[in-house]
Amino acid sequence: MSEVTEQKRGVVERMGELCPVLIGTSGYSYTEWVDSGFYPRGTRAPQMLPLYADSFPIVELNYTWYQMIRAEAISRMIAKAPDTFLFAAKLTRTLTHERERDWRQELKLYREGIRPLQRQLAAILIQLPPDFEWTRNNRSYLAQLLDGLQGFPLAVEFRHISWAKDSVFAELQRRQVTLVTVDGPSLPGLFPCLDIVTNPSLFFVRFHGRNCQGWQSGNMQKKFDYSYSADELQEWNGRYLSSLRAQADKGVVFFNNHVRAQAPGNASLLREIL
Amino acid sequence: MQDRSIIHLNVTDFAVAVERLQDSSLKRIPLIVAPEQAARALVYDMSEEAYGDGVRKGMRLDLARRYCRRARILIPRPGLYRKAMTALVAQAIHYTPLLEQGEEDGHLFMDVTGTHRLFGPAPDIAWRLRKQVLKKLGLDPVWSLASNKLVSKVASRMARPLGEYIVGSGEEAEFLAPLPLSLLPGLSSQEVGLLRDFNLERIGQLAQLSREQLAVPFRRRGEYLYDASRGHDRTPVMPGGTGGGGQFCREHHFEGDAAEDSELQGVLTSLVHEIGRQLRQEGKVGQRVGVRLTYSDGRDSVRQATQAGGTDNDFLLRQLALTALSRAWQRRVRIRSCVLICDRLLPRSRQQTLFVLRSCREVQQEKILTAMDAVHARFGSGSIRLGQLFEVKRR
Repeated sequence: MSEVTEQKRGVVERMGELCPVLIGTSGYSYTEWVDSGFYPRGTRAPQMLPLYADSFPIVELNYTWYQMIRAEAISRMIAKAPDTFLFAAKLTRTLTHERERDWRQELKLYREGIRPLQRQLAAILIQLPPDFEWTRNNRSYLAQLLDGLQGFPLAVEFRHISWAKDSVFAELQRRQVTLVTVDGPSLPGLFPCLDIVTNPSLFFVRFHGRNCQGWQSGNMQKKFDYSYSADELQEWNGRYLSSLRAQADKGVVFFNNHVRAQAPGNASLLREIL
Repeated sequence: MQDRSIIHLNVTDFAVAVERLQDSSLKRIPLIVAPEQAARALVYDMSEEAYGDGVRKGMRLDLARRYCRRARILIPRPGLYRKAMTALVAQAIHYTPLLEQGEEDGHLFMDVTGTHRLFGPAPDIAWRLRKQVLKKLGLDPVWSLASNKLVSKVASRMARPLGEYIVGSGEEAEFLAPLPLSLLPGLSSQEVGLLRDFNLERIGQLAQLSREQLAVPFRRRGEYLYDASRGHDRTPVMPGGTGGGGQFCREHHFEGDAAEDSELQGVLTSLVHEIGRQLRQEGKVGQRVGVRLTYSDGRDSVRQATQAGGTDNDFLLRQLALTALSRAWQRRVRIRSCVLICDRLLPRSRQQTLFVLRSCREVQQEKILTAMDAVHARFGSGSIRLGQLFEVKRR
């Protein structure tokens, strides 16, 4: 693939001391992205990934949070994308949000399921719930989870502010696990937006949108209904992204504000800014 | 054409799950739900533990007891299960009006196509609904998501007893291919047996056969097998009833096995009224009425009666049902359950017939039914019923 095409697809090359960044969205299979014009009219679900890969070099897989990842389904999905295309995969909810089942067994299933993706895997995203606070039990669970996923590139997203501690960052650094930088609504109790790099080989950014009212509604359509302006992204780049790019070898950025295809719109906008 | 998003929600071992909600001491005890007093009783439902010991639905109770000696036997309470089913539907109806429910069995199909602007992506709806049902009703359903009812039903069987399964649109055939033929909905055990005679064990092997090849042993059924093995299913989610593909179905399980003609006729009459009312509400007429009887020894018998042009008149539907009953009940064995099926549906014509005048009796009947529908709409379905006369035979 030519350098120009690579640039167009969202790989922003290192400029001087700044590392390259891959920009994509959280999920790609949304019917409303056809209605909103990101996908051509009449696009059906099986055609979405190849079309998405024409615009972006990476995607974050959301559906792996809803159901246990299965090797055969993953293999079918990989076959639809170019060889150079990368994936970040969320850890299944039964390992983060709903841990009623035998989590060791679930972890085993996840490791088996994700195997076909290994060559094109940017990171496994461990998104922890807002009520997952910094307690002895939770620390112990997270440590066991990270041990259980050893060998995979890992990124941890905290939602609770109590994890914003130097000791946490130091431990992640020791384990070479990426701390996810999150842009979201400014609400009390949420983990803050930080330009801390705990794993120099990868930084990981998620843009959730800043819809304060929608965030607590329990409705995804309201929660992620937000469009970043060029000024907001410009400011974010100056304040956080440049710093992150200066500390790491590679970065991935995902827009999660999927409602009305605002995510691909904002991803393209950030790419232009960079 | 837009890809459909069909969620199948299934509370596994529904009767057992509901009984355990009523009495928490039943948790972790192997349970068999069956009418203990009935002669040659059959298993109505069983817990996962009893299933693990080899107990199956429809198995003779004495045999089931031998397989699982530690199991506690519970008498079925269809009224309780119906109430739980209504509560389950009440949780789901919030997300879509296109909701098809089974009869007291914990199964729901939901067509959530096009609801994303209101509720977000379909997997999120399914996940939230499961969480809501668990929190509010204490029931823990499995869920699946696919582009049609057939595939979503198979997928939820793959997810049992706990879990979820999403089959991406366009992946239906690949998903089904490695699965055993017995998992394909709608296949009778005879058909599975016949396919085994041809050395076909997997759905993918069946999908390799052409329509012409399938037509040789299966005739018209070959069409269904051709489509189903490829994961094609265009049947809509039918709001309200269990009957997909243009049919209305009602089922009744006798608490003790039935042997009296009058008992069966009484039950059929009330099922006819339910279906008749549904036909009139939806502006349809049924051309065929079928009765499926399940004998207490587990054998089935199905017979039909037809009415050219169709009808939504309860009196006529009842006559058809009784004809079908007399054709179906040919053995001197007690009846475990009966299903009334009304299919070959047509839209009801609002135009009067040109040459055939209706009799006074027909006009009267229509008036009675209209009045009864109004009473039902205002006071509920059990508020008024038609009586029935039985001839007293003198010996």
